[in-house]
Amino acid sequence: MNSIIDPYFLMEIFLKLLGYIPMTLGLAITSMVLASILGLFMLIIRMKKIPVLSKLAELYVLFGRALPTMIILYIVFFALPIALMIFAEKTGQKIEINQVPAVVFAVIGLTIHTGAYLTEVFRAAVQSVDKGQMEAAYSIGMTWWQGFYRIIFRQASVFAMPLMANQFLNLIKSTSIAFMITVMELFGAANVICADNNRYLEVYIVVAFIYWGMSVLFEKLFLVAEHKLAVFKKGSNL
Amino acid sequence: MITFKNIHKSFGDNEVLKGINASVPTGSVTVILGPSGSGKTTLLRSINFLEKADRGEIILDDLHIDVEKVTKQEIHEIRQRTAMVFQSYNLFKNKTALENIMEGLIVVKKISKAEAKEKAIIFLEKVGLGSKGDFYAHQLSGGQQQRVGIARALALNPDVILFDEPTSALDPELVGEVLEVMKKIAQEVNCTMIVVTHEIGFAREVADHVIFMDGGVIVEEGTPEQVLGAPKNERTKQFLARYVSFTEYNI
Ligand SMILES: Nc1ncnc2c1ncn2[C@@H]1O[C@H](COP(=O)(O)OP(=O)(O)OP(=O)(O)O)[C@@H](O)[C@H]1O
Ligand SMILES: [Mg+2]
Repeated sequence: MNSIIDPYFLMEIFLKLLGYIPMTLGLAITSMVLASILGLFMLIIRMKKIPVLSKLAELYVLFGRALPTMIILYIVFFALPIALMIFAEKTGQKIEINQVPAVVFAVIGLTIHTGAYLTEVFRAAVQSVDKGQMEAAYSIGMTWWQGFYRIIFRQASVFAMPLMANQFLNLIKSTSIAFMITVMELFGAANVICADNNRYLEVYIVVAFIYWGMSVLFEKLFLVAEHKLAVFKKGSNL
Repeated sequence: MITFKNIHKSFGDNEVLKGINASVPTGSVTVILGPSGSGKTTLLRSINFLEKADRGEIILDDLHIDVEKVTKQEIHEIRQRTAMVFQSYNLFKNKTALENIMEGLIVVKKISKAEAKEKAIIFLEKVGLGSKGDFYAHQLSGGQQQRVGIARALALNPDVILFDEPTSALDPELVGEVLEVMKKIAQEVNCTMIVVTHEIGFAREVADHVIFMDGGVIVEEGTPEQVLGAPKNERTKQFLARYVSFTEYNI
């Protein structure tokens, strides 16, 4: 306790905090996957201009992006159980709301937040594809779904990849607020260690380092995915 | 035979097609000429419903479509029985030349991948690109891309191929190779061709029938000799005087 930074202590908390990476990444990856599916649904609803639903999708995208993630998380954490309770009472079903772990609410909240952004990312990606591509698909007798899946989606995904990477890095950072609703992830654990040892600098240095490491790793992974998806652009200047 | 009856189409207040009536016999080549904005592209796109006309009828042999009451099923059917060659080629950018041709065979015609590939190679050779099968669109010249576009259309064995200014986006030195391929198809394949083009030479040499459009109506039509050789209408004469002088093309 005599130097400002004690290397042994650094190592010790680093090893301790490693154990929380699975929770942080689990939150981020699960939310990302669910948000991608949600975003894709929203995109298709809007593209197909399905009456009512496309208005709702628009509203969702607006709110999902306008509200701070923390507020979304709180709303989900406090309001969802109440809504479920009322639902349970009305229908006479038994739902054990206390048994739902906080992680589930965290995933729901992060999914809602990220899904709204991804909807916009996907929309931009689809718009980046020349509209002649879909016309060509139609002209040879393909249906909207065939053209969307086999032509538009494939081309748009290359455009979407770097933006999704961005969103994912944001999401990794956003998982730190899951601590607010009692989920023990990386940042939460770091705070507990801080309080226990009354040493802040080392802990935050280590935790910053871990976040940085995860970001670098996933940035690379997304880049690899982008290159894999972009085989058809090989040699072009895009 | 494909027939249009009284096709009307407006974009907002702008009436682009003012009642088009025409017939194109099976296996014939019809060239549509006309100044910019006369509605040629719109007419062509109305046939495969890339643009939905406001009213009128489109009759392709036994398929009788009343545009106002058209069903999804009918749109799908006419798209399966026609194909289009675009001014900007519109090759599928995520697919190679070969895959571009195979795509419709596999997805629409539902033939096996191996069979589709065999067939695609034949058509690629037909347009003189047998060695470019594995090239992506961006690796091909405009003329080559357009020839793949033609092969893609042809491979589906459509009743009608619609060409919308297939050579307008090409460098002058590449126009010839595409017209050459089109001429070959006209002679070898028994498929109806409707060609919007400004290539008067091509019309003169290859067309069975020439339609001259202006301001959303058919102003004059007939054999190439009649319309191009001895136009009756004043607007046709003016148009030809302008075009023949600098876009005359001879194969
Ligand atoms: N999607 C659209 N929305 C609004 N107006 C359109 C649309 N497409 C075409 N038009 C208008 O319709 C008219 C006819 O256009 P069209 O493309 O059919 O002409 P064209 O004869 O093919 O001309 P060009 O020789 O220049 O290709 C033009 O005045 C054009 O501005
Ligand atoms: Mg046009």
